Amino acid sequence: MSALLLMAPALLLLLVVFVWPLLDYAWLSLQAQSVFTGLEAVPVGTLNWQRLLVDGRFWQDAWQTLRFAAVSVALELVAGLAIALLLHQRWRGRGVVRGLALLPWALPTTVMALGWRWIFNDPYGPINGLLQLLGLATLPFLAAPELAWLATVVADVWKTTPFVALLLLAGLQMIPDDLYEAFALEGGTPWQGLWRITLPLLRPYIFIVLLFRLAQALGVFDLIAVLTGGGPASSTESLALYAYLNAMRFLDFGYSATVMLGMFLLLLAGAGGLLLWRRQTDAPQEVRP
Amino acid sequence: MRGASRRRLTAIGLGLGLSLAIGLLSWAWARPAAVVRVLMPAPFADATADLVATFNRSHRDVRIAVTRGPFETDAVSDLAISSLLLGDSPYDLLLMDVTWTAKYAAAGWLQPLDPWLGPDALEPLVSGARAGNRIDGRLYRLPLVADMGLLYWRTDLMEAPPRTPDDLVAISRRLQEQGKVRWGYVWQGRQYEGLSCVALELIAGFGGHWGPGEAGFGLASPAAARAAGWLQQLVREGISPPAVANFAEPEALQSFEAGEAAFLRNWPYAWQELQRQGSAVAGKVGITTMVAEPGQPHAATQGSWGFSLLAGSPHPDAAATVLQALTGEASQRQLVRRYGYTPTLTALFDDPELVAERPLLPELRQALEQAVLRPLNPGYAQLSDILQRQLSALITGRGDPALAMARAARESDLLLRASGQEVGAQPKEVS
Repeated sequence: MSALLLMAPALLLLLVVFVWPLLDYAWLSLQAQSVFTGLEAVPVGTLNWQRLLVDGRFWQDAWQTLRFAAVSVALELVAGLAIALLLHQRWRGRGVVRGLALLPWALPTTVMALGWRWIFNDPYGPINGLLQLLGLATLPFLAAPELAWLATVVADVWKTTPFVALLLLAGLQMIPDDLYEAFALEGGTPWQGLWRITLPLLRPYIFIVLLFRLAQALGVFDLIAVLTGGGPASSTESLALYAYLNAMRFLDFGYSATVMLGMFLLLLAGAGGLLLWRRQTDAPQEVRP
Repeated sequence: MRGASRRRLTAIGLGLGLSLAIGLLSWAWARPAAVVRVLMPAPFADATADLVATFNRSHRDVRIAVTRGPFETDAVSDLAISSLLLGDSPYDLLLMDVTWTAKYAAAGWLQPLDPWLGPDALEPLVSGARAGNRIDGRLYRLPLVADMGLLYWRTDLMEAPPRTPDDLVAISRRLQEQGKVRWGYVWQGRQYEGLSCVALELIAGFGGHWGPGEAGFGLASPAAARAAGWLQQLVREGISPPAVANFAEPEALQSFEAGEAAFLRNWPYAWQELQRQGSAVAGKVGITTMVAEPGQPHAATQGSWGFSLLAGSPHPDAAATVLQALTGEASQRQLVRRYGYTPTLTALFDDPELVAERPLLPELRQALEQAVLRPLNPGYAQLSDILQRQLSALITGRGDPALAMARAARESDLLLRASGQEVGAQPKEVS
């Protein structure tokens, strides 16, 4: 009984900031509340959900959001690990570089997205300037659907790799040095050490990174809103951007709530998969050369 | 943003409180002033700062408190809508883009202005500026400045501007082959509202009409398909750069200002930018209306800003006084002279003194008479989004114009039907 009492504040908070909005959205998704109803909520049953199921744009955006999240998080994980390993070594000037490496993460997303919009500018941006210098044709990075989504990935990787590196660096520092020493005595190479010691022991940290980053990347909004506005031809539009358009531009709150909930359900499935994967791979590992 | 504006409001409130205290001490008869709070996009807040200060000096019972909104149109709309959704809006007056009126009115956020301005409120305006303010016979907005799509052309490269789409392509190609310009025509091809503005003019110029009255909101017509096809052709044949698919107004202006293109589609503001020092085309630019097929109108998309009275205003009388003062002749005259905005009052276009100072005014008036209005529909933002999506795909090289427009037509009809509006109904009477 006292346990429940002690937990009550936390539970209450969770109820207010999480469960209540969710229920509110679930209710809203069963209403037509839009500019056409004078913003009055009119119950329409599952009409919004039926529309969602056949809304090609929702599924296109879901695929694009997933693709964006998968590719950028994978690249961030690899680059972040490399940077973390580098910053874990002892060398002169490491402190300064550690500080500098965090800069992109500290920059507000809107600001850095505006910067990247300029960097990708055709033909005046620096990248196209470089291409012209090399005698190559300029590329319309933000004006071609097959390039624009890669541009959003590049900007996101640049911005969030430091965050991944920071978390993994914390993990690296938890691994005792004598493990590596014993491993070297037994004749193991540093490359083998990375696979047999570092990565297995980093697994909980990688899991945290994946959880944070996937949740963030799947909800990506500001970067894309500023960099491409979802274009060209909606090829970079994310689900969050679509939900925003429905609410703030079209004033269709019922459908916007449905899109958000649809996205939430997809996220939930993703998180469930990740948890399952963790359960299966979390068995204690033996460390052997 | 909200924090900043709240802090500003607090600061303004404190300032007002202080002046009120002093006022009470000085004049025992002083009544507390009604504070009329106005939200404007930053450029307008800056341009009207003097006018507001003058008003506040000369009125004791009404004071204007301006909130300087963001620069971008969409960001201003977001700010306004967020505050309106919370119920009690912190503003009395809102400076609105012409496309918002129908949506805001349908949401119940606006008060009709008729009780204060009477039935003849739009009479002093040039005819091209009258549209888009009245919905279902009620006046919801009074325009402050006019805006319309213009075709800028290089006077040093050709004798006369092109009048048909084929002309424009032919002149562009010739100049490009001669190496005089890299590109023929730059315009707004980014997937955003600007693309709908470009399309509206062209669909009219090809003999069509984007709006109610026809199936598919006018997009099922061959004219719409030809207009869309022409935009696709421009990029495909290299008359316009591929990057145009990400051009908004500044990017298109930049390219034209650098002397890279023979033609530019932009708003009147671009004129001053093109004449400033450092512009490669200063003194070599002419303006005209958009190209059109023979016999079709040379249309100019209307894009004006005007004041609306919000429904929750606690003192609508004072707000109406402010609205009339800010849109009045003295106010507009100053905006024209100091900032180069386009007025909406006939008297100002006819004023020889002002015309001498701003020789562009007669041409702007001519373009304004050709103004076409984006559809006045509560669902306009979504209808526009449907069109932009298909056009953006065409410009980036995907798909067939007729199919794309047919798809946009179908989606538009679906939306109208779902919202309980008639499909292919006669246009609402708009004056």
